Amino acid sequence: MKKDKIIIGLAGNANVGKSVIFNHLTGLHQHIGNWPGKTVEKAEGTLHFKGHTIDVIDLPGIYSLSTFSIEELISREYIAVENPDLVINVVDASVLERNLFFTLQLVELETPIVVALNQMDMAKKKGIKIDHEKLERILGVPVVPTVATSHAGIYELMQTSVDVVEKGTGKPTKIRYGEEVETRIQKLSEMVSKLQLPYPARWAAIKLLEEDEQIGGRIRQLDPEIVSAARKLAEEIERIHGHSCSTVITSERYEIAGRIAREVQEIVPLRKLPMRERLHALTTHRILGYPVMVAVILSVFFAIFSFGDYTSQLLGTLFENFYSIYESLFGTGILATLIWGGIIEGLIAGITIALPYLIPFYLVLYFLEDSGYLSRIAFLMDSLMHKIGLHGKAFIPMMLGYGCNVPACLGCRIMETERERFLATFVVTLVPCAATSVIILGLVGAYVGFEWALLLYVIDLFIIFVLGRIAFKVLPGEPTGLIMEMHDYRTPHLKTVVKQAWFRLKEFVIMAFPLIIAGSFIIKLVDVLGLLEPISNVLSPVTVVWLGLPTITGITLIFGVIRKELTLLMLATLFNTADFASVAGFGPVQMIVFTLVAMLYIPCVATIAALVKEQGWRRALFITFFEIAFAIFVGGIAYRILMLTGM
Amino acid sequence: MEKKLSQLKPGETGVIVSIQALTNHRHRRRRSWGFQRRLEDMGLTPGTKIMVVKSAPFHGPIEIYVRGSRLAIGRGMAERILVSV
Repeated sequence: MKKDKIIIGLAGNANVGKSVIFNHLTGLHQHIGNWPGKTVEKAEGTLHFKGHTIDVIDLPGIYSLSTFSIEELISREYIAVENPDLVINVVDASVLERNLFFTLQLVELETPIVVALNQMDMAKKKGIKIDHEKLERILGVPVVPTVATSHAGIYELMQTSVDVVEKGTGKPTKIRYGEEVETRIQKLSEMVSKLQLPYPARWAAIKLLEEDEQIGGRIRQLDPEIVSAARKLAEEIERIHGHSCSTVITSERYEIAGRIAREVQEIVPLRKLPMRERLHALTTHRILGYPVMVAVILSVFFAIFSFGDYTSQLLGTLFENFYSIYESLFGTGILATLIWGGIIEGLIAGITIALPYLIPFYLVLYFLEDSGYLSRIAFLMDSLMHKIGLHGKAFIPMMLGYGCNVPACLGCRIMETERERFLATFVVTLVPCAATSVIILGLVGAYVGFEWALLLYVIDLFIIFVLGRIAFKVLPGEPTGLIMEMHDYRTPHLKTVVKQAWFRLKEFVIMAFPLIIAGSFIIKLVDVLGLLEPISNVLSPVTVVWLGLPTITGITLIFGVIRKELTLLMLATLFNTADFASVAGFGPVQMIVFTLVAMLYIPCVATIAALVKEQGWRRALFITFFEIAFAIFVGGIAYRILMLTGM
Repeated sequence: MEKKLSQLKPGETGVIVSIQALTNHRHRRRRSWGFQRRLEDMGLTPGTKIMVVKSAPFHGPIEIYVRGSRLAIGRGMAERILVSV
């Protein structure tokens, strides 16, 4: 059968080279978005192969098809319900047993699959020889050995895939469990097969025995008796084996995977400790690991921010020059001011702030992730991050937050569950970014004293700690500890890193720029309409009475939403001086309170855009308004405490 | 002899006996279910041989070698895994 359009899903464990294969296949024809209503990334692409148009969907990297994480649920629903023509299961040949565990689950889902036995080069380096033809015979599905990083086997993979879609393959080998389990699966699948389900009956029966909540709930609606029958059968198995039924099934499935792996691979022990093993030992060493980590993070910071600063200033100057031309052409009428100040300034803010930092950030992030170093940092920092209810992986976005909250929010993707992702994002927006540091150092540091500036940083850390703990306790869901694979170090595939960075950047610009521009336009509009003063007056109960600040600070805080450092610039403009010490009614107490509020009160509009993109409107607005209220609350308390000390 | 995984020293091996639930509290039962599932999906099923490679300082996670791959596992989780040595 010749199909005009073939849909292929790419599935596999994390870090098996799935994205390298995806990028080889789709080249520049890809689109990055989110799965509907989820914070999980969906990458789609198109390729043409021998007259076929093939849509490729890169499914999230997962270890199992249970429902522990949203990624697993999404992948499972996609494969079972959307029914792609084929699933290419990318398998890491150097960690065969663990990968086959996942392959077996795909086989159980009865989807047509082709196995891409990837990273054959890595397996060879580890002294592992795999008989892929034997693997093909045992599994009953086509197996194509590949080395994605050097493009080897990709053509054969596509050829095989198209063949399978057009001609179909023989039946994959049935995975047989132990006698006690097998008879019960069969009994149950006979019952299930009478129902109208989008899943294969045998698979649904296995899931019922595993006490899968989603499948259980679905079947309960159709026929609650089947669910109770499953319960009984599961209890029988539990009595026989002394472990819960899901444990028994998982255990047996791993046994099968292990048996297949042992049958097809031959391992020759290495005589010499390879470089990557020594690197691993050094970077996770209980003492030496930390200086190495600090050195890496500092150089990453330095690289990102020196590049970002330089480019940002360069672009800033460029646009300033452009303004004088604009002014001479269009004058300074209301409309001209509105267009410049609202739309163009917003665009400039996006280009000069977000882009110069985001480009190097994405490159470095994907480089570190691909190489395997991120998981080592998580290993070293896990115990510290546990203090705020997160685990090691959250350390990376948090560090980034000190530079810019935007990449930090986007970086929270590396967390596994939705709950952790939200928690990490929330914590990250409380970290003072580089622009906030300008205010802290430029106002409090310069006019009140360096130790006060330092104190503000300490207070911020304390607040992060307390709010992190509270959010950890309040948020529903399961707190998860760290459990992650530390895959072998490898040289990242540069082309993939660049492509990954490019498409994420593109997606961010499309998503965030309209928001940034709209935000700055609204504020400028308010300004042009002469509403800033009235609004400041309206705000005065908060700013003047509760916070003890001069009325005009209300205006500056509004402007800070566009860019945090604007608060300081606006303050200088409105006071008509940059020497803040000379302003009456703006003493050390006011400076500290003002800075404290500016530090906490709201993520800037670019951060809000990033929040919306990652977490959706509801949560983005929640974080935003919570932080405004919280900043005002803390500011007022600080004002009263400082007044008591008689400063 | 049975020990907690967290009590093994670097270089020692053990075979998993069981994974203990978080608490007996009824409200928490579902929670421990997810925790156990996750460990099992990563290959930590009863009967599996584990080698402890090292542990991170400050009560940090433990690096283990299991089923031909290297895993990092938080200390809290390691305390709930019983192994026989």
